[in-house]
Amino acid sequence: MSRQLETKLREAVASLFERGEIDLVIGHEAGSLPLRSRPVFVRDAADIERLVWGPNCTNNLAVYLPRLFAHPKNLREEYAPPTVGIIAKGCDARSVLGLVKEHQLPREKVVIIGMPCTGMIDPKKVEAALDGARIIGAREEAGSLTVETPGGEKTLGLAEMLADGCLECAHPTIDEADVAIEGEARSPADERYQRVAAFEQMSGEERWAYFSDEISRCIRCYACRQVCPNCYCVTCFADQTKPRWIGAADELPDLMAFHIGRILHQAGRCVECDACVRACPMDIDLRVFTQKMPKDVEALYGYVAGMSADGVPALLTFTENDDEGFISEP
Amino acid sequence: MTNPYLPLPVTIDKITIENDAKDLKTFRLRFEREEDAAAFQYECGQFAMLSVAGAGESPIGIASSPLDEGYIEFTVKRYPTGVVTTVLHNLVEGATMGVRGPYGNAYPLAEMEGKNIVIVSGGFAFTTLRSTIRYLLHESQRSRFNNITAIYGARSPGELLYKDELAAWEAQDGIEMVITVDKGDEGWSGREGFVPTVLQEVAPSAEDAYVLVCGPPIMLKFTMPPLIELGFPPERIITSLERKMTCGIGKCGRCNVGSYYVCKDGPVFTYAQLQEIPEAVL
Amino acid sequence: MKRGKIDKTDLRKLLAAASEKARCAGPVADRVGVKLEELTADSVLALDYDNFRLSPKLWFFPRSEVIASGSNGTLEATPLPEEATVLFGLRPCDAASLELLDKIFLDEAYLDPYYKARRENTTIITLACNDPDPACFCTSVGGGPGASSGADVVAFDLGSELLFEAVTEKGEAFLAEHDGLLTAPSNADDTAKEKLIADAEAKLQPVTIDGVADKLAGLFDAPVWETIGERCVGCGTCTYLCPTCHCFGLYDEEADGNVKRIRAQDACMFPLFTLEASGHNPRSTQGARARQRVMHKFSYTVSNVGETFCVGCGRCVSHCPVNIDIREILEEVGA
Repeated sequence: MSRQLETKLREAVASLFERGEIDLVIGHEAGSLPLRSRPVFVRDAADIERLVWGPNCTNNLAVYLPRLFAHPKNLREEYAPPTVGIIAKGCDARSVLGLVKEHQLPREKVVIIGMPCTGMIDPKKVEAALDGARIIGAREEAGSLTVETPGGEKTLGLAEMLADGCLECAHPTIDEADVAIEGEARSPADERYQRVAAFEQMSGEERWAYFSDEISRCIRCYACRQVCPNCYCVTCFADQTKPRWIGAADELPDLMAFHIGRILHQAGRCVECDACVRACPMDIDLRVFTQKMPKDVEALYGYVAGMSADGVPALLTFTENDDEGFISEP
Repeated sequence: MTNPYLPLPVTIDKITIENDAKDLKTFRLRFEREEDAAAFQYECGQFAMLSVAGAGESPIGIASSPLDEGYIEFTVKRYPTGVVTTVLHNLVEGATMGVRGPYGNAYPLAEMEGKNIVIVSGGFAFTTLRSTIRYLLHESQRSRFNNITAIYGARSPGELLYKDELAAWEAQDGIEMVITVDKGDEGWSGREGFVPTVLQEVAPSAEDAYVLVCGPPIMLKFTMPPLIELGFPPERIITSLERKMTCGIGKCGRCNVGSYYVCKDGPVFTYAQLQEIPEAVL
Repeated sequence: MKRGKIDKTDLRKLLAAASEKARCAGPVADRVGVKLEELTADSVLALDYDNFRLSPKLWFFPRSEVIASGSNGTLEATPLPEEATVLFGLRPCDAASLELLDKIFLDEAYLDPYYKARRENTTIITLACNDPDPACFCTSVGGGPGASSGADVVAFDLGSELLFEAVTEKGEAFLAEHDGLLTAPSNADDTAKEKLIADAEAKLQPVTIDGVADKLAGLFDAPVWETIGERCVGCGTCTYLCPTCHCFGLYDEEADGNVKRIRAQDACMFPLFTLEASGHNPRSTQGARARQRVMHKFSYTVSNVGETFCVGCGRCVSHCPVNIDIREILEEVGA
């Protein structure tokens, strides 16, 4: 299935270049490790062959857009951003629309090439299924994943290898794609936010203990922040020196302050793409914390991030009937 | 064992406000311990880390001459965005702070013996050259060198540093002072003109001469070509490079430019050296 | 040099004995992998791991530490760490990285007293690799799955037994102290060990390093940097996981009149690394920053201390969120 989508994708990109509708396309190409893909910037029709599609095209490419559209610091410098095509799963496309809504890029300069996403592989699930055997290669074929190990090939069911975030995805594809690559996407999940709901049932002490345990592994590499399309602040609050909001050490309060700040800044904006979860080199269970924001915002305000480029972001407006349950008596 | 990260305690003996904008101050510091004062042996062109506990550290060129006894001086500009300089400027005489150093290499004065020395400087980059002029003009050192010419410019008369000293140097024979400002005011009867322009007007001879040049990047960019035209070979054009620094001792990596560490292999470099380092864009 | 064998089931006993005189750390499993952790009475050793996620450089150059503190404007140096430490389970690449870091922190002109104290107080027992990770390339940078650089004792995994070989006097002293738990290795053991190491070496894919330092000198303006920079998101994963990266920042923090001066790791990949108070940033593009990291590790350190600052551990390759692969960069540069 992925091969066919890949062909359609390349054809669509070739047309866009031919018609002069884009200057650049950001997509995925083969990575240097088994099961990995990597972002690729294609400016030339000759490079279209590098574009791939498969259940390992995990990166949220919208992260590259604010950089491309940032105004130069010197006002006299020419501001001529390219028209950018972007290969987008449902979550990635919602990131793009979210950025448009926050005035980080003009809608007309982005061509969303929407892919019908059937879910992304979680390499850790593959490793677990192989009982520690090394992965030398992998290929996807109609619902299965055949993995090459030193001891021979093993075929796994693709559905069991999908990332938890994908299993709970409500928007595998979106209507607002400019170019919709034809194909069958996953059905939106019926059961969502299960882990978050289970976590919410834990006692305050248990939740705090888990949070402390997970966050204590943080090394402040900021991979979570740097891969997030929503984290486009020129100077992040974590890096400000005047005033210094967070300490520079790896004391637990400093680490927690960063994550609590970053996660809360995602309220009404996070599209649950799992980029932060995948990027974290310390395997911190970020998902159970980051998913709380979109869950709450949807429950409280009926708002889902990134479904359109119009309108006002959830936390920039209010209605009279807004839930006030969070206000407690002093 | 000495801890290279630990600042030595100093007392602020005197603070002089150098300019009309009041954001340039000269701090005269005295080591609280005799042995620290004795150990702090420096040469013209070196810098030290000024430490303000609670704010941090800032690398500042040493403005006093090695022959000044009993104190060391630093002229510091306050940047509104600066974590350290803003707090430093709020300190008062008598306050305690810290100094680590001296760090970096020095102007190659020994190499310049018997030669003519030209000094070209603009803005508050003049501080280590003030140290140098004080040293060169000292009665124990003057005879080692030939003619000394100094061209120093500031944006406006109020921005000139060390005004009393400049007047004293203008009055004496040991040095030819050429002071200029970008734009004068009603009280100003001296020269007007950008430093690179004045340099071309003064046209000091490159024969048997070294030139020490310090200034903001934009001034250096327009000063190097006239110096080359005047015949100064790149090995005899001496300048001081600036980068953000942290440790000052060649470990933290922040001031790494090419394979050099500005804090250890610099900040003094010849133009010939800088031409070999692609990242040291001038 | 002294050698000895121990049954794997007795390893815990050996380390428990070492714990009587020193803080002892070994490989312990947690929720996400195996890490190098101080052993307690309850610790269970886990010997089936490729490598620790975090490099053991952190035992000598911690992610953050208070180097001075005080009040009323003065600062006193933090007392030097004195605790004797035994680290078991470092891979040879990580041990080799310490000898590289020595060239920076033990530089005679400005000796780092904290690093020196920790190095002197620590005995390092490495665990040679039988099955390198596909991303590893230690043999290409002068190392090897059984190499001894940086180790006091090297342990070889023979299956049910570990074969210890002392490398330094410190290692000799360690094995002598625990002599009672060791048995003499046989010729068969040596043959087995040699085969394991040879097999491991054969699995490693070579990466071009020869000539890279010189070639890099002429590639400052090459377009490859902006291509990498375009994809690089500017996080610190590669730097913070790297066994030889050592850039740091100094930060003062004040609370209730007490000041702490903290040294914390930093990364040249971050945009703010070289940002000056005036607003000028000499490395204003991500390509310039990516270039700096590669140049520093593969060219500048070669000029300055005669060493490439890479031990081929493969962490940056495995964990870069956008799959920037240093091996590919080196191949392209070396070509």
